[in-house]
Amino acid sequence: MEYLSLFVKSIFVDNMIFAYFLGMCSYLAVSKNVKTASGLGVAVIFVLLVTLPINYLLNVYVLGPGALQWLSPSLADVDLSFLSFIIFIAVIAAITQIVEMVVEKFAPSLYSALGIYLPLIAVNCAILGGSLFMQQRDFVNVGEASVYALGSGIGWFLAIVTLAAIREKMAYANVPHALKGLGITFITVGLMGMAFMTFMGISL
Amino acid sequence: MNTNNNIYTIIYTTVVVILVAAILAFTSMALKPKQEANVKAEAISQMLTAAQFAEKSELEALGNDKILSKYVESIDKALIVNGKGEIVDSLDKAKSQIYTESDLKAQNYLIKKGNADALRLPVFIFNKEGSKVTVIPCYGAGLWGPIWGYLAFNEDLTTFAGAYFDHASETPGLGAKIKDDPAFRAEFVGKTTDLSEDRIFNIVKGGAKEGQTNAIDAITGATMTSKGLDVAINLWLQAYKPYLESGVETIRQKAQAAAALAQQADSLAVSDSTIVAE
Amino acid sequence: MNAKLKETILNPIFKGNPITVLVLGICSALAVTVQLKGAFVMGLSVIIVTGLSSFVVSLMRNSIPNRVRIIVQLVVVSLMVIVVDQLLKAFSYSIEKQLSVYVGLIITNCIVMGRIEAFGLANKPIPSLLDGISNGAGYALILLIVAFFRELLGSGTLFGMRVIPESFYAAGYMNNGLVILPPMALILLGCIVWIQRSIQKDLQEK
Repeated sequence: MEYLSLFVKSIFVDNMIFAYFLGMCSYLAVSKNVKTASGLGVAVIFVLLVTLPINYLLNVYVLGPGALQWLSPSLADVDLSFLSFIIFIAVIAAITQIVEMVVEKFAPSLYSALGIYLPLIAVNCAILGGSLFMQQRDFVNVGEASVYALGSGIGWFLAIVTLAAIREKMAYANVPHALKGLGITFITVGLMGMAFMTFMGISL
Repeated sequence: MNTNNNIYTIIYTTVVVILVAAILAFTSMALKPKQEANVKAEAISQMLTAAQFAEKSELEALGNDKILSKYVESIDKALIVNGKGEIVDSLDKAKSQIYTESDLKAQNYLIKKGNADALRLPVFIFNKEGSKVTVIPCYGAGLWGPIWGYLAFNEDLTTFAGAYFDHASETPGLGAKIKDDPAFRAEFVGKTTDLSEDRIFNIVKGGAKEGQTNAIDAITGATMTSKGLDVAINLWLQAYKPYLESGVETIRQKAQAAAALAQQADSLAVSDSTIVAE
Repeated sequence: MNAKLKETILNPIFKGNPITVLVLGICSALAVTVQLKGAFVMGLSVIIVTGLSSFVVSLMRNSIPNRVRIIVQLVVVSLMVIVVDQLLKAFSYSIEKQLSVYVGLIITNCIVMGRIEAFGLANKPIPSLLDGISNGAGYALILLIVAFFRELLGSGTLFGMRVIPESFYAAGYMNNGLVILPPMALILLGCIVWIQRSIQKDLQEK
């Protein structure tokens, strides 16, 4: 089943953090405890799931070479792909703003726990990166793009929650002073990345 | 001026958007010719490398203009055929019209759909040292992203003259070897395709069988990329099969006609000598 | 040159390095450091984008309506990145293909937005330009260090030129394939942070 294979592949093999290093900044900053980490993870899943299919449709019907043909055949030569970056980021910024307003209304404690990292989802490389990779991969339909978005989001969520769990335990370990905090976190993420590489080459 | 005033905000954002759009449109238009030349030169140098005119690095060092002029000098025919092997159109040789990666991707999608009539597959026939080299593309999925390349055939349309492959994001040192390792590409030279078999060509994990001419060894440690390449090559050769088969048939008929003519000339010579003998 | 300007320029290179101290711009730092050539082009692009964006936003800083502040900044940064990308496509096509997605990701590179917010909005244009350039330079420095080790150990070359002699290979030396793969970049970065914090004890977390 192609969808299932794509879904599993985007969680484990094409993991946003471990394979492509996207979303590192907020990943490292918010992974100090599991509760806030899962809150941010869920927000990332949601933003990806909404923005990627929208950007996919924009890419197919507006931005790609010859994409505007459905409006008028004379526009077949128009290639607006140079506007991709700016259009994608505009969509992402808008959706993030909406998510921010929804979280503030319905989960105010999460809102204050996440602080500045919620609006920073707009500049989270994982979100824009997801849309840019989608452009390269050429999915067949919006369904595939959505499955990819969901899988990528879950992969990011998995990565940040596991790192937070490890960091919570590491607070009790005897790490050398110069390595404490940032240094040992980098090395841990590197080792986790190596572990995730075992998923390479899996096809369902 | 109150910068938080609503009207001011709207005017401000409108001006910013118009300015940005203007700058972007100008930059895009100004740079487009150079960008297009880059894309063309890249595809052409890949084809020329597959046909063994020169190594890719040598071609890249020549620069876009020389690559484009080399193409115009050596190209004999640039055709477009459909899935039934019929020639339906041609590419503009003087303008060095080529197929980009997205064109190949579009054709790949049509091939997989199975619509032979809708296919528009390119065929590039080059003049090389007195004989013709036919170059056709292939496209498929590697491990991490798309892979593509060009297959070059000698005049008999079954023996490989060479090949060149490229990828978007295969693993450096492993899957990337399809592009970076000249030894891998060199394996194709002299190998043949078997159009009568289900598997026209094979990239075999663990090594090709001794004596099997339509197979080469897969790259050790790059099983997925090798498998993806094998699938791509077979899929595209199947799509080109009607064209290649009719080409092979034409060659066979020409050879038969030439042999018949030679026989006739021989028998005439014999009868001449018998007359003389009597 | 007055002391403040000097600090603006020198700080981001070591003491206030955006990657190792401010923890910004990690994503692309890891992805494009497989080869020195890519790291160099990426570093240069970030220097140009950060400097120019900071400069332009600083020029506009008194006229931007507060409500659309982030969006206007994003638009300015996107403009710079798109122009740099288009220039690369025209003049350095093979490198652009290698960097592909990561050039676009400069837009979300936390360093750019971070410096605009922290410096460009509150300071004059010329210091903002310098701050942007030197933060980009600090970023480029780390990129080059990581790429140096990854290319040397992973391919035996530097900037594409063979450095480890053939005789080593003949004697049984093999390129370390692990170093080319993504996780190693993180571990290398961890080691760089370790070394920096051993030298600069005040950066250590308690």
